[in-house]
Amino acid sequence: MATTALEHELKEMIIETLELEDVTPDDIDPDEPLFVEGLGLDSIDALELGLALQKRYGITLESEAESSRQHFANLRSLAALVESRRQK
Amino acid sequence: MTFRELSARPWRHRPLSEPFAWLPPEGNTPARWFSVGEWHGRIGAWQQQLLDTPNDSDSWRLYEPDPIEFGAALIAIWERGDRVVLPADNQPETLSGLRDAGVVLGSSGQTPEQMPSTRLPSRPPRWSSEPLPAVAVSLYTSGSSGDPQRIDKRFDQLDAELATQASLWPLRGQLVVSQVSHQHIYGLLFSILRPLCEASPFSAQPCRYPETLHTWLRCCKTEGRRIVLVSAPPALSRLPEALDWQPERAVLETIYSSGAPLSKGASDQVFERLGKPVHEIYGSSETGGIAWRVQQRGSAWTALPGVEVRHDEESRLWLRSSHLETPNQWQRQADLIAPTDDGFELLGRADRIVKIGGKRLSLTAMDRALATLPGVERATTWTLQRRDLRLAAVIQLSPDAMPHDHRQRRETVKRLRRALAARFETPALPRYWRFVDHWPTNTQGKLSAEIRQRLFQDLEDRRAPRWLGERPHESGWRIILEVPEHCIYVDGHFDGQPVLPGIALVHWAMQQARRLFAIDADFSGLERLRFPQPLLPGDRFEMTLEHRQDDAGASLRLECDSQRGKHVSGRIALTARQELKR
Repeated sequence: MATTALEHELKEMIIETLELEDVTPDDIDPDEPLFVEGLGLDSIDALELGLALQKRYGITLESEAESSRQHFANLRSLAALVESRRQK
Repeated sequence: MTFRELSARPWRHRPLSEPFAWLPPEGNTPARWFSVGEWHGRIGAWQQQLLDTPNDSDSWRLYEPDPIEFGAALIAIWERGDRVVLPADNQPETLSGLRDAGVVLGSSGQTPEQMPSTRLPSRPPRWSSEPLPAVAVSLYTSGSSGDPQRIDKRFDQLDAELATQASLWPLRGQLVVSQVSHQHIYGLLFSILRPLCEASPFSAQPCRYPETLHTWLRCCKTEGRRIVLVSAPPALSRLPEALDWQPERAVLETIYSSGAPLSKGASDQVFERLGKPVHEIYGSSETGGIAWRVQQRGSAWTALPGVEVRHDEESRLWLRSSHLETPNQWQRQADLIAPTDDGFELLGRADRIVKIGGKRLSLTAMDRALATLPGVERATTWTLQRRDLRLAAVIQLSPDAMPHDHRQRRETVKRLRRALAARFETPALPRYWRFVDHWPTNTQGKLSAEIRQRLFQDLEDRRAPRWLGERPHESGWRIILEVPEHCIYVDGHFDGQPVLPGIALVHWAMQQARRLFAIDADFSGLERLRFPQPLLPGDRFEMTLEHRQDDAGASLRLECDSQRGKHVSGRIALTARQELKR
């Protein structure tokens, strides 16, 4: 499946924000888990990503924390979240 | 002040109708109270569970994330006269490493030995005349040797701490909301035992995210309830400014932080956003609470009442405290301190224990775990001052395990991280890796601060290569380098198929030459310099440099080779650098 422009933008945001030194956008499979397996992100990264989403797209995550974190499952779900909730 | 120490079994004495825990709102379900009576039912359920579970020892390993169930299990075990063992996490190796420590209880999630996930129905508790156990809880922390060390806490030690806190900062029935794990001493004391002893309610769910906190604050404002927040640096240093805290923040009474020092910047930010200063508690599993501070009043730490502090000529902290196992003895600690007029400053540790995301990690244990992995000949790790002190690793690999390009490097990192994952939590896994074929040292044979800095210089300077060691070669030097994936020379040059332009190699060669040959020269021309094929991001290569001075003038001979072949070959003509005008 082709990567959308937004997905590419998010890949670069993840790499920049989390300072993933050897990850290139091509290394992020949109369907692969972002956390633990797959890209190997962790709880600190989740907080960091939440901040970046707010700064960049004005997205305030819902308080139902667990469900909003489900959007972080992989890049596609993250892109869907940004698509539907972005303020900027 | 309502305070009843643990030894007086406060759980037996509260009116059954009193609120015990606060069930936060969920979806359309409004918040509600869980009464002391309901909680007693859970103690009864756990008592039955313990009766039904064969256990040869008098201790129980408890890993239970639900605070109500955790509290009930704790009391059920104590009422039997048994000891509670708290694993720091539920990593399979942590749990199985504590084999001598009794049956595993609770929803440990990852172990086959776990209890059935369905909970037994509530039933009335039975209060026995069994004396409380000599050891209330045992905790495990990584010692400086890297082996888990058991720390036993007696009731008198816990009671001394709880009494101190109750007198300094009485809870007065406020709702305790926790962002930390009660499997560790700080969370255990502040979010479970303090509410228990001071008859204050706590939240029935941990509050992991700032958005959750925001909603709960709003909800408590409506209910007219005040909140005490038990937090830690990872959560406090990431409070989104996009959330409007202003209307709700008046609900917050006190904010605590422990586990690691909070940066001054983060502390100020919390004060600005939440309107209350952070009370930081300094201590450890072994020592219990030692001191506290509010950074808006100063950076020095003030010893808690009942704790005496001094230091020796090595700046090591000495402690005499009722929270220690031997309350009347001075004990030397691994922390280094410097006294100030109004307390003391922390200078770091004398051993190799670090905190990542607030969790303690023994670098010795990490190094040892890495060294046992296939292909790894030698390994060392340390924390980088980037993003919460993420771990940097230098790994000497055997030649056949050495990655030579981007894909191999990613696979190697993945393989090593996966092998460590059973033993360490994800945030503790090394984030920045340098693979070397020879141990990089200075002339004294040390992996010095300067060498460490050079190994990770590309993180600071996007124009720098990844330096992985060097050795004399013939009459010059051979340097091992990698092309960093996010190197500025690569960035955006050729979308789709990024390569490293040849001129970048010339820049790198000049930089290395200035350092290695102590020359102060500029290149004045490229002589017969060929670039047979470009280097790609992630490529590992050897740069061979030779400095020549002959009749034709000064020059630098340059070769770059990787496993794929030759990337540059030729000479660079040099001229002495112009004197820089001031």
